[in-house]
Amino acid sequence: MSELRIAYENRYEEILTPLAMRLEAFVQAQLSDVSRIVRITARAKNIERFVAKAAKEIDGKAKYDDPLHQIQDQLGVRVITFYLTDIDRVSAEAKTYFTSVEEKLIVPDSEREFDYVGKHFIMFLPNEVFRDDIDPDSAPKFFELQIKTLFQHAWAEANHDLGYKPSSELSKQQRRQIAFTAAQAWGADMIFDQLHCSIGQ
Amino acid sequence: MPILALHSYLVYPTKANEEPPKIGGTALAQSGQLFDLLRSVYDKSETECDIDIAFNPDAEGKQKNSCRDLFVAYLSKPGLPLGRKLAEKLQAVTTGRSGLGLLFLMAGKEGKKHKLVVSRFPADSGILAEQSQEELTVEFIEKIFMKSATSYKAALYADASLSSGFWDGKAVDKQINHGLTVVSEYWIKSFLESDFKLTAAAGTKRLAHAIRAAIRRTESLPIKEELVALARLAPNSKNKRLSVSSLAKKHLSPEAIDALKTEMPNSRCFTEQFTFSEREFEKHIAFESLELDNGAILMAPSGTFKKVFDEIPIKDSDGRSRFSTEAKVIDRRLRKTKT
Repeated sequence: MSELRIAYENRYEEILTPLAMRLEAFVQAQLSDVSRIVRITARAKNIERFVAKAAKEIDGKAKYDDPLHQIQDQLGVRVITFYLTDIDRVSAEAKTYFTSVEEKLIVPDSEREFDYVGKHFIMFLPNEVFRDDIDPDSAPKFFELQIKTLFQHAWAEANHDLGYKPSSELSKQQRRQIAFTAAQAWGADMIFDQLHCSIGQ
Repeated sequence: MPILALHSYLVYPTKANEEPPKIGGTALAQSGQLFDLLRSVYDKSETECDIDIAFNPDAEGKQKNSCRDLFVAYLSKPGLPLGRKLAEKLQAVTTGRSGLGLLFLMAGKEGKKHKLVVSRFPADSGILAEQSQEELTVEFIEKIFMKSATSYKAALYADASLSSGFWDGKAVDKQINHGLTVVSEYWIKSFLESDFKLTAAAGTKRLAHAIRAAIRRTESLPIKEELVALARLAPNSKNKRLSVSSLAKKHLSPEAIDALKTEMPNSRCFTEQFTFSEREFEKHIAFESLELDNGAILMAPSGTFKKVFDEIPIKDSDGRSRFSTEAKVIDRRLRKTKT
C-alpha cells in the first residue's frame, strides 16, 4: 500500500469522519432558517476516490505534488433545494456564515451538451467543528459546499456510479443515454422552477 | 526558529497626479539591535496578530489573489526584487492620510511550515537629546519609525504548502476600533486584499447563541442577570471588532465569563474576532423574558425591556419587586406551554 493511502486512511478514520458529522450538524444549524432546503448532508471523501484523485495527471505530470494539503474536497457538504431559483438564495445565505476562497457554477462546456451541473464553493472549515480530540493543524482547512436541486442531486448520484468511474469504458450509446437523463433532469428543473415562479412561492 | 531573510522598504504615500517615488529597499543583517527588534516582532507575531483574516478570491470567484501570489513568490525565493513588488503594492494603496511607512518582510521556516511576517512601522517625528559633559544638544528628527501603539500594522502567514496553503493568516491593526476604520481598512482590505475570516453573521450568531445557552444552563440568578445585561449592552458594539472573550471580559464577572466560555466548542471560538452585527444579533436575541414566582411571565423586545417594564424593589421583602407597565392591549392569547 502506498504511504499516501495509509496516511489518508488514518486521516479518514481519525479526523475526517468525526469532522464530517459535526460539519453536517453545524451547516444544518446555520441554514436552519432558510426555506425550501430538502436536505443537508456531509461526507468525508471516500478513500478510493481520494487515491484516484491524488493520482490524476495533467499532460503526463502529476496534478498534485502534496495531495493531503492540495485536495480541498476531503470534506464535502451538499445542500439540496427544491428549485433552481433557490440556489442563488441559499448560496447568498451560506456566504453570510461561511468564508469562501472559490465559487463556481459548473455547467457543460457547450450549450449542446447535457452533463453535471451545480454551484460549488470551497470554504474554510469553521472552528465550531473542532474539539480537543482533533488538532486543527492536522485537519484540512477547507470543505467543499455544493448546492444542487433535487434533480441535479439525483442525476449526480446515479451518474457517479454509472458513468464517472465505470469498470469498463462506456459505449457511445451509453454516453448518449446518460446525456439524455441529464437533459431530462435539466428540463424537469426548468419546468418546476417556472411553475414555482408562476404559481407563487 | 530561524529567520531566513529580512528586507525593508521605505513606502511613500501615493499622491493624486504625481509619480510616486521609486522604492529601493535593502536586505537587513541578521545581527545587531535592529535585528533583535525585528526578531522580537517575528517571534511575538503569533500572539500579537490577533485578527483572523483570509484572502479574497478574485472578482470571478476563482481561487486567485494577487497579494497572495506576491507573498508566495517572495517566500519561494526571498529577495529584494520580489519584496519590492509587495512594497509597490502597498504604496499603490497608501494615501496621504496614512503617510510614510517602513515596510519589513521577515521570512522563515518553522518545522515544515513556511512563515512570513509583514509589518509596517508608521513614520513619526521626534527629538534627539544628547548630553555631553558640558552641554545638551537637542535636535528635531523626522522619519523616525516606531512600533507605535496607535497605527502599527502587521500580518502573519504560516503554512506547510506554498502551492495550496497561505489562504488565511492573522493581522494586527492598531487603528481598528479607533474611529479610523476607513484609514485602517487599507491594510487588510486594500493591501492584503483580504477580509476577516469569521464573517460578522457567523461570529455574532455564535455570541448570541452562547449567551442564550449559558442563561438556560446556569441555575444562578445573578449570572443569568449578568448575561441578560450583556445581551442588552452588546448592540452598543455595532460594527466594532470584538471577540466573545473581549466582550465578556469587559462586562462580566469571572463566574459569568466561565458560564459563557462553557458554551464554546473550543477556546478558539472564544477568542476569534469578528465584526459585531446588530441585525444578526436581533435575529437570535429578539425578546427578553422574566419569569416571576407568582406565575407571571413578562416579555418585551430585548433592547427595550427595561423601558417597557418598571421594576421597584420592595423593602424587607426577601428580594421581591413590583413590576409595572403602561400600554394599550392589542392582543390576547392562550398557550399550551409557557415558552
